Amino acid sequence: MRRVVPVLAILAWRNLWRNYRRTLIMLLAIGLGVWAMIFMAAVMRGMTDEMVRNGLHTLPGEVQIHQRDYRRDPSVVNSMAPPSGALLQALQQPPVVAWAARVRVPAVLASERGSRGVTLLGVDPQAEAPLGSLPQELVAGRFLSGADDRGLVLGASLARRLETGLGKRVVIMSQDPHNNVADRGARVVGIYRARLSGTEERFLYAGRSVVQDMLGMGGAVSEVAASAGDYRHVAAWYPRIAAAAGADLEVVSWTELDPFLDTMLGVQDGFSLVFMVVIFLALSFGLINTLVMAVFERIREIGLMQALGMRPRLILAQILLESLFLLVLGLAAGNLLALLSIVPLESGIDISGVALGMEMMGMGNTLYPVLALRDMLMSTGVVVTLGLLASLLPAWRAARLDPVRALNTT
Amino acid sequence: MWKNILIGCALLWVHSATAAGPDAAEIIRRAMDHYRGQSSYAQMTMIIHRPDWERRMRMRAWTEGDKQTLVRVIEPKKDAGSGTLTVDGNMWTYTPSINRVIKVPSSMMSQNWMGSDFSNKDISKDTALIDQYDHTLLEQRERDGHRVYVIQCVPHEDAPVVWGREVLQIRDDWVLLRQEFWDQDNVLVKTLRALEVGQLSGRAVATVLRMGREDAPGEWTEVRTTQVDFDLDLPANLFTLSSLRNPRQ
Repeated sequence: MRRVVPVLAILAWRNLWRNYRRTLIMLLAIGLGVWAMIFMAAVMRGMTDEMVRNGLHTLPGEVQIHQRDYRRDPSVVNSMAPPSGALLQALQQPPVVAWAARVRVPAVLASERGSRGVTLLGVDPQAEAPLGSLPQELVAGRFLSGADDRGLVLGASLARRLETGLGKRVVIMSQDPHNNVADRGARVVGIYRARLSGTEERFLYAGRSVVQDMLGMGGAVSEVAASAGDYRHVAAWYPRIAAAAGADLEVVSWTELDPFLDTMLGVQDGFSLVFMVVIFLALSFGLINTLVMAVFERIREIGLMQALGMRPRLILAQILLESLFLLVLGLAAGNLLALLSIVPLESGIDISGVALGMEMMGMGNTLYPVLALRDMLMSTGVVVTLGLLASLLPAWRAARLDPVRALNTT
Repeated sequence: MWKNILIGCALLWVHSATAAGPDAAEIIRRAMDHYRGQSSYAQMTMIIHRPDWERRMRMRAWTEGDKQTLVRVIEPKKDAGSGTLTVDGNMWTYTPSINRVIKVPSSMMSQNWMGSDFSNKDISKDTALIDQYDHTLLEQRERDGHRVYVIQCVPHEDAPVVWGREVLQIRDDWVLLRQEFWDQDNVLVKTLRALEVGQLSGRAVATVLRMGREDAPGEWTEVRTTQVDFDLDLPANLFTLSSLRNPRQ
């Protein structure tokens, strides 16, 4: 057997190049197919990563603590006392690396020329900064200097819609816990830009103590957000926070806060696999056809080999080897092509032409494809497994030829 | 920069002028007391005018002190009985067709009132003009045998007011002739004008008031007062939710 395999391999290799034109066409097809698989997967991975990143950015802190009813009705009535006792202790211990308490209530922002509904975030900038929850890019002015900063920071898109700007006074209106109108004027001290204009229009930042004063809620806050650095491993530590928080508070991780994001991460691999299989199904017809032709052309030859004593098993192996060579060559070409085409694009593809549509899915106007090793391995796995399965049929037929009849075919 | 200097000069000049003249805040206080008295009852017609349609509503209004107002629509029939109650900056509306009293949430305070060019805030926050602004007397001029005070009101830093400043013209018999709303870029946005001043119940009253936006000259809301009585004894339960719902007057 040990001497047989190299011989079979040589036979298969040479057979492959007997009709080199057909082989090259098949190689091209497989190469393009594999490239398409990996490219699609990279683009999709880029999209999901982006959605998760954007989602987590507007929902910072992998674990959030609220009053029990806050998520059902995010109003000022459902606020909680700032963390103390066991909860405070749990928040100050590793693995928690950063935490912040903020006020988060619906409000209306009015200028001379319009008003819009927003989510008012009363933040303490010093505590929020390590969480990465503050706007990354300021286009004008400065961010709030502290929890008692009397200014406002709003998004560029919101400023445009309300026809207001840096240094102007605007009015925030909300409701206090007794349902009375709570409002105050404030000066715009900073304008930020976010990846999504939806974010810019929704979130309005003000100093936490100033908001607490305005709403007459004392020291209470709406939510506490905590982070341990990596969003993927949140399940390991958040039950401990939940235990420390007690029964009156609800502790949820981002996977529950935004199940959509969590699901997206989960189905990403599944989607890629489905795509790859579909692409391969189209390819497999070409592959089977090629092999069927190759066997058909060589019926007399196969009959001769059998007559000389070659076992059907070896004939099967030879055809499968031939198919494997073809697939491996195609895979190499496809992977190389994918590498060459994706790496230059990793700095981002401009999709601003369809940005509006993409924004509905929570994406910005640049797409960053991500070339992941697992996608390349997955495509290789799919192509080799399914390819060999598809080649079984022609190989099986070749191995079962009757030598006498085969030799007599003209 | 030159703007600041100009305002500085104006302030300086005003300061020297006010040393002799009346206090600006006092004038506004007087004007406000003048048109609503300690308590008042008025019948008026509100005309909402747009380039392609016009709508008239007759209504009755009661006020007491600075903080209590009740307005009820009597015509057209479709809207009869609906009303607005404001007490201390909070506002409720009642609509008979749905038989509900609704508290106007803060999110709707900057929306318009009954489709007019007045905002809910204009209706519910009368006295803000006194408490939450700095007043300066800009000028005193003579017109039609009356002295007219021109007063600039600049909102306090924290005041829930979007305007950059408001300029009021008040006649020496305390009739508000004109109220201009300027934005923070010094552009005039809307103006409330007294188109006619007449005598009602022995007082000079602006009988026709028109609110209009400067950028839409064909759109305005006019309030024509046909009858007004001052300093009445109003029942104690008038400014309550139950009276909003069940008219007893």
